[in-house]
Amino acid sequence: MEKKFQRDLRSLEKIFDFIDHFIAKQRIDHAVKDAVYLAVDELFTNMVRYHPKNNNEISLTLKKERNRMIIRLTDRDVEPFDLTKRKDPNIQASLKERSPGGLGIYLTKNIVDDIQYEYRNRTSIITLTKNLGRKNV
Amino acid sequence: MFDIRLNDRGDVVLSGRFDAAQVDKAKTVFDRLAATAVVDFKDLNYISSAGLGVLMATQKRLTDSGHKLKLKNVSGHIRDVFNIARFDLIFDIQ
Repeated sequence: MEKKFQRDLRSLEKIFDFIDHFIAKQRIDHAVKDAVYLAVDELFTNMVRYHPKNNNEISLTLKKERNRMIIRLTDRDVEPFDLTKRKDPNIQASLKERSPGGLGIYLTKNIVDDIQYEYRNRTSIITLTKNLGRKNV
Repeated sequence: MFDIRLNDRGDVVLSGRFDAAQVDKAKTVFDRLAATAVVDFKDLNYISSAGLGVLMATQKRLTDSGHKLKLKNVSGHIRDVFNIARFDLIFDIQ
């Protein structure tokens, strides 16, 4: 299933509805839902924030392949941003030294089983794999 | 649908989904806190890093004046997210 969403944080409600619909249709365990919400929310929110003036919609594709769920976000006419190379925040630091920066990507890395980043023709493609049937966040 | 309100005891009560689109709404309450406060997560179903950022910024501001947030009724998905972010190191989670 694929759907395009306006580059606006108010699209998040529609994205959550789209995920709900897919999970129900594919009879995927609802325990996966919050993890998928979180991963898509964090990446979509980053795309909106880093390219606020881009008018292109952001595409979300959800697929089920055997015992895993494939989630792909495609953002056209943007600069590259390889989240897999982003340094993790220091989550052991004291409150004074901590900052929220990088926490979204860190959470995403911790709740999915694989992340792939591709950049071609000025298009960022992020593909997440979530294994089904294990403990989910 | 996200909601935030203060109850009779002055606790911050959250409900629904706290994502990046809700930050401004949440800050209208968190930015007014000037003393130690309890945040009740009983009816909150979901939180993203944007919500964690609001909590962290409030905790930093309150700590500077000798106060803090106390988080209660944290369970399920929210607890898992707090564990990954190691919020136990910077918050009093009841």
